Amino acid sequence: MTLGEREISTSGDYALTSRTLPLSVIVSVRDAGATLREVLLAVRASDLRTDSYEIIVVDDASSDGSVAIAARYADTVVKLTGRASGPGYARNRGVELARGDVVAFVEGDVAVRPDTLSRMLATLAENPDVDAVSASRDATSGARNFISQYWNLLLRFGEQHHPGNCAQFAPGCGAIRRRVFISAGMYDEWRFSTACLESVELGERLLGAGHGALLSSELKVTHLKEWNIGLVCQEVWGRSRLLARSLGYSRMSAVAPSEVVFTLSRALIPAGALLGTLMLAAAFVPPPHVRAEVALALVVLVMTNLPLHRFYVTARGFRFAAMSAPVHIFVQTVTATALCTGWVLRYLIGDASPDATTQAYSEVGLEIWPPIRRRPR
Amino acid sequence: MSSAGVDSILFQEPPSPPIVAIKDASAQSVAGQRERYAPTAAASEIFRGPRRTPRKSLIVVLSENHVVSPDLVTDSLLGEGVDEVVDVILACAGPPLGITALQRRVRDLQILLAPAGTSTEDLRELAMSQASGDIVTLLSGSPAIA
Repeated sequence: MTLGEREISTSGDYALTSRTLPLSVIVSVRDAGATLREVLLAVRASDLRTDSYEIIVVDDASSDGSVAIAARYADTVVKLTGRASGPGYARNRGVELARGDVVAFVEGDVAVRPDTLSRMLATLAENPDVDAVSASRDATSGARNFISQYWNLLLRFGEQHHPGNCAQFAPGCGAIRRRVFISAGMYDEWRFSTACLESVELGERLLGAGHGALLSSELKVTHLKEWNIGLVCQEVWGRSRLLARSLGYSRMSAVAPSEVVFTLSRALIPAGALLGTLMLAAAFVPPPHVRAEVALALVVLVMTNLPLHRFYVTARGFRFAAMSAPVHIFVQTVTATALCTGWVLRYLIGDASPDATTQAYSEVGLEIWPPIRRRPR
Repeated sequence: MSSAGVDSILFQEPPSPPIVAIKDASAQSVAGQRERYAPTAAASEIFRGPRRTPRKSLIVVLSENHVVSPDLVTDSLLGEGVDEVVDVILACAGPPLGITALQRRVRDLQILLAPAGTSTEDLRELAMSQASGDIVTLLSGSPAIA
């Protein structure tokens, strides 16, 4: 059998009309042409029987030829047109077509290891109390540039320090029992129109409904996306703002401590408190050395980040850690600003919701393809 | 265009399928071939205006010396639902083997002929460029038993 094909047995052993398979792998993509081939080849190289799973690629209105690449290796390709609706929406469309008892979500820039999917299936089979299992990222990033490595290790730090039962479901690759996914209400495509915290929100719902959601530090995947400082800031801004505006900081920090926003913001609290105290003191007693006080706050910030810096030293050496320190402080500043913006928006406007047109279409129950974003049940 | 419940036409004369022949694939890139065989006017018509339900396509890929069981293609079509309308594209590398029965069962089967030796992946990509469906299912044949 050639890669990417599902052989049709002339004896009819593999019945196409059979509606169930052990696993459906759903890859949601949006302009992922640079990485998609590697991602799909990695899935095809899994140590699973080729007739035990299907690959469904859902293309979220890409403009870079991702569909053509998907056609080479996938069993089913779903082409969503118009405006991009987000990975949650795309994955929901994939699940609607899936035949697997278990569905695994793989991002369009995440390469699984040969044993990742089979071990996920084994984990679910051996642990009836676990309904969802997610893989954590490995130390290597597909892209070799400094920012990609900084970002990859930052997320890995969070995942390594807070594994186990938590709401961090499928940050790049995760598997869930299909019936549980559907009964939990699927991804919230109403509020999450961009790649953001839809997985954390789903994870929280799963935990709330009494399902087990495991973030495994032993299951590993490689993230291939190339990051630059602009993309990192955009990502952090989007996640932090939505977290503060829609999900609630305190609530989510308890159920999803590995989320990168918490890794970034936890260390800000002591430094912010010190800086606030110094500024308050300066209101009464004119400070002789303003710069010294700011420097002191920065030192405190670096000290509170010490576990992370030590992690960077261990992973990439002292020079890398030294280079990452100022970048990290900058990213933390973006996080703090975004969190404040989110809180302000929450009190001024309320929760995030789709545009007026989408809301109106949804209100009248218009049925079109691709479907209007649905409210969570 | 073929309806899923098509057993009743088993004994009718097979209709002449639309055949798109691709010559000299080795000398052309897949992208070049895709431009050359741009979607037809009928296919473009499909994309005008909103639709209530997604269009579906089924691509059957036959590499050189591969065959497909018509039963399984029909089963696959039935799996999509009796009322569903599905475009079926048969993409072949070289002359297709034993597709008469399939032609009988599937009305308006679109056949895409590529030169012998065209890889399965290239066939899939070429067929996808011709598929008008929003949901496209891809199947591959099995080696012919001599």
